[in-house]
Amino acid sequence: MKYYAPATIEEAIGVLTSEPGTRVFAGATDVVPQMRSGRDLGPGLIDLKKIERLSAVTRQDDMWVIGAAVPAAQLTANADLSHDLPGVVEAAGLIGSDQVQSRSSLGGNVCNASPAADSVPALVAAGARAVIASGDGTRTILVEELPVGPGRTSLAPGEFVVEFEIDRPAGATADAYLRLIPRTEMDIAVVGAGVQLTMDGGTCTSARIALGAVAPTVVRVPDAEAAIVGTTLDDAALAAASAAASAACNPIDDKRGTIAYRQHVAGVLTKRAIGIAADRAQNPGTANGSTH
Amino acid sequence: MSALGQSLPRPDARDKVTGDARYPGDRFPPDVLFAFIVFTDQPHARITRLDTAAAEAAEGVVAVVTAADVPVNEYGLTMFDQPVLIGPTSSGRSAVPHDVSRWEADHLAVVIAETEEQARSAAALIESDWEALPLVADIDAALADGAPLVHPEHPAQSNAYHHLVITKGDVATAFERADVVIEGTYELPYQEHAYLQPEAGVAYVDEEGRITVEVAGQWTHEDQEQIAHALDLDLDAVRVIYPPIGGAFGGREDMSLQIVLALAVRKLNERGIDRPVRSQWSREESIVGHHKRHRGRVHTRWAATKDGVLLGVEATSHLDAGSYNYTSNKVLGNLHLTVAGPYEVPNAQLDSYAVYTNAVPGGAFRGFGGPQGCFVSETQMNRLAAALHLDPVEVRRRNVLGEGSIGITSTPLPAGVSLPEVIEECAIEADWEAPPRPPAAIGAFASLPPTTEASRRGRGFACAYKNIGFSFGFPERSVADIVLHGSDDADARPTSAELYLAGADVGQGAHLAFLQMAAEATGLDVEAITPGFSDTATSGDSGSASASRLSWMTGNAILGAAEEAEKAWRDGDRPARGHFRYTPPPTEMLDPDGRTPTTPNFAYGYVAEAVDLSVDVETGHIVVHDVVCAIDVGRIINPQQVTGQIEGAVIQAHGYCLSENLVVIDGRVMNPRFSGYLIPGIGDIPEQVRSVMLEIPDPRGPFGVRGMAEMPLMPYAPAIVGALYDATGVWFDSFPLTPPRVRAVLRAAGVGAS
Repeated sequence: MKYYAPATIEEAIGVLTSEPGTRVFAGATDVVPQMRSGRDLGPGLIDLKKIERLSAVTRQDDMWVIGAAVPAAQLTANADLSHDLPGVVEAAGLIGSDQVQSRSSLGGNVCNASPAADSVPALVAAGARAVIASGDGTRTILVEELPVGPGRTSLAPGEFVVEFEIDRPAGATADAYLRLIPRTEMDIAVVGAGVQLTMDGGTCTSARIALGAVAPTVVRVPDAEAAIVGTTLDDAALAAASAAASAACNPIDDKRGTIAYRQHVAGVLTKRAIGIAADRAQNPGTANGSTH
Repeated sequence: MSALGQSLPRPDARDKVTGDARYPGDRFPPDVLFAFIVFTDQPHARITRLDTAAAEAAEGVVAVVTAADVPVNEYGLTMFDQPVLIGPTSSGRSAVPHDVSRWEADHLAVVIAETEEQARSAAALIESDWEALPLVADIDAALADGAPLVHPEHPAQSNAYHHLVITKGDVATAFERADVVIEGTYELPYQEHAYLQPEAGVAYVDEEGRITVEVAGQWTHEDQEQIAHALDLDLDAVRVIYPPIGGAFGGREDMSLQIVLALAVRKLNERGIDRPVRSQWSREESIVGHHKRHRGRVHTRWAATKDGVLLGVEATSHLDAGSYNYTSNKVLGNLHLTVAGPYEVPNAQLDSYAVYTNAVPGGAFRGFGGPQGCFVSETQMNRLAAALHLDPVEVRRRNVLGEGSIGITSTPLPAGVSLPEVIEECAIEADWEAPPRPPAAIGAFASLPPTTEASRRGRGFACAYKNIGFSFGFPERSVADIVLHGSDDADARPTSAELYLAGADVGQGAHLAFLQMAAEATGLDVEAITPGFSDTATSGDSGSASASRLSWMTGNAILGAAEEAEKAWRDGDRPARGHFRYTPPPTEMLDPDGRTPTTPNFAYGYVAEAVDLSVDVETGHIVVHDVVCAIDVGRIINPQQVTGQIEGAVIQAHGYCLSENLVVIDGRVMNPRFSGYLIPGIGDIPEQVRSVMLEIPDPRGPFGVRGMAEMPLMPYAPAIVGALYDATGVWFDSFPLTPPRVRAVLRAAGVGAS
């Protein structure tokens, strides 16, 4: 197996084109365990970390641009990003352990396409877009269009994710991400819930809600969103959102949780994440809901 | 200054912290070969063909050992019911059929090669044919009408092959007179030892021609006997040495690599190859390949007066012994003695069974049946308190065993019963009489932010007693040797000493405790004593590192050896040698009808715990805020080490009670990795553990010492269940209390959002 470390996007595309079957990676926190377990990873691996654009985090007037290979630890250390998109940052801060976060990237977490990937529901809730490079140039799609099944993405051969674009919240808008695992850390999500919403004078005017680990891919929950938009997030609205989230699940039964448990917890986390996001939207600058 | 009561630094601490300590897996003598142990991967099947030709011809392979190479193809700590290697041909000198695999981790062959990679690749070339036998998956399957026998050769002719009975007084009348009856059925889970160091060892022929095995175990001399038996050698021809041991907890009490490594060396020797052999299991092989704390089921009824005084106990208990006995018959005995609790029980009918299945064997694990019995008895006692609106501490005061009490086997307990004092001390330290605490938010424990709305808080209490030393007539002894050195001058005092003991330091610090006791016994400084530990070539038999017995038994042996050496010293011997074999008061087997009064144990330890927790009733997560563990240790040898044992046992109990969920289906361990078998991490453990040590001397303990290392594990799970009831009004009769289980039970009881 060959190791490639291209310095530019074009160079990376050149290798992908000339060496069919090669794969890209960033932090290698999924690739290395796959190698150890004996999985065939093809003729070569392309390390994207040396490409400047994939390792940059920039704040523009209207959006954040986060390189696909930026380690999670850089995101959690970025106070400005945490201020604007606390839910995305707390999701990045839940991947693996501190050691893993010094390597693991959003690009890798999304493209590994685990149904339980922590960053995906948070990115979807925040309306994130993925910028994709190939020999034909770049295209931009919603993050929720990337995973199509466990371990599978919509990327065509020769394509890879360069960066994520996330609009900066306007007005009283904030996001939140909650994840349940049986233990405190170092485990895979039983359920993850990402919420972004906008408040206006105590009323919720828009919402995006996404769930992880409850179906083969991330699940947007329009019924839960509809249940809270136009309300003051009263108990009835929260109960309706919670019920809609539970109903949207199509989970598996495994040692981490039963189907009934996952459905139930999806509702609980949705309700709680709505509460945290609403608090943040109405009290900007507070650390409410921090997971650590 | 006395050497006792001092937190002296561990002599092995620096090496262990820096990584310099050479555990069995770190030993790579020159020219060493690797021995890969092939599991059958057959929970129940008969082997009809075994062909190792391709494996033997593979690159790097030196030899392949099979059943045909085993002189006496049987082993087992208390009965020889397991073949060393499964195969179609064998020497025939075995009581157990050698051609049946009864466990997925039965051993099929040992492939010896230049490298581990070569040995593992060659193992894949071994060909075997199997004829499937009906699988006995669990206790229910084993007890069903017409169930196939796992061991048709066993004289019991039943999968329920070992039965213990206690019949005391008139239990039927006790229930007729009862004001209240508490009935319950309890499901008890497996637990994996999860020691840091997976099984590993190295074997070679030493300079005196002995087959020598360096391995991590718990009883050098038992390992030596088991190896000698299977290899049909004199004891003197086998030597066992323990290097630093990376944890044990009972999981190294039975054989893993010991016999097969010795067989490998013997096979090489026969071929004129004089090279050492090493082996090491992966974590997955370790979890699949060694025994577990028994899963089981207990159905019980307790009769009491309206004042909470016990009148009678009925209990029927089953432990899943798995495919081989290991120490199940002994573990069962401990369950049997603890299932009715540390209480005065005038009338009892107790029936306990060990049951063969094709699941992973049950065996020794810290507490040795006690945690299972204690969960049942203490949950019953807490339920009795709740039913009568009595305080859990008060109801124990009315029933607890005290000095002179008649125990469950109708004889007085050995002198020095201190449980009443232990219970009071625990209640005081826990501020038990204080009003309930306000609900606490659950924080990072659940990886979720705090929420007070869904949080409920509660406290729970439990206590326990457990034997110290081998029970039920098993020959108990410990040998120590002390050699005193110093001036020939008749008035001189010794200036240095040698101490020889085999007792295993499994990480608990036993060797430092031995040195501190020897210093106290000889009047020398610890630094003046040169140890010779854990080598059958230099030490007598000190017995196992188990049953909370090592300090108690070796301490008495050290005192005897020091006295003998002192006599020799006064007689003018230089050096002055003292040899002593300590035997405690004899113990007795239960008789088959269970009515004859018997004394099953010579000493006990006593413990009580109070816990304070919060539960998130919406997610089922539990966080434990505070644990008070009060324990009578008799006399503290090394306070830091005692604290380490208490905190370690509580944390191990925390995993047992809350998160460790070994899944065994159709004879196969489904989650043999730490990603799926969740031992507590640093963020999961109790926020605080307060160790409260009482020093009420054991009249027979050396310097008053009591055993203590197992006891703190026992009351934790029932105390947690008691606290959960206090918090939610719901009882739990099974664990581990994983969030899905807690949530499901609460939901069924209508607690928390639906």
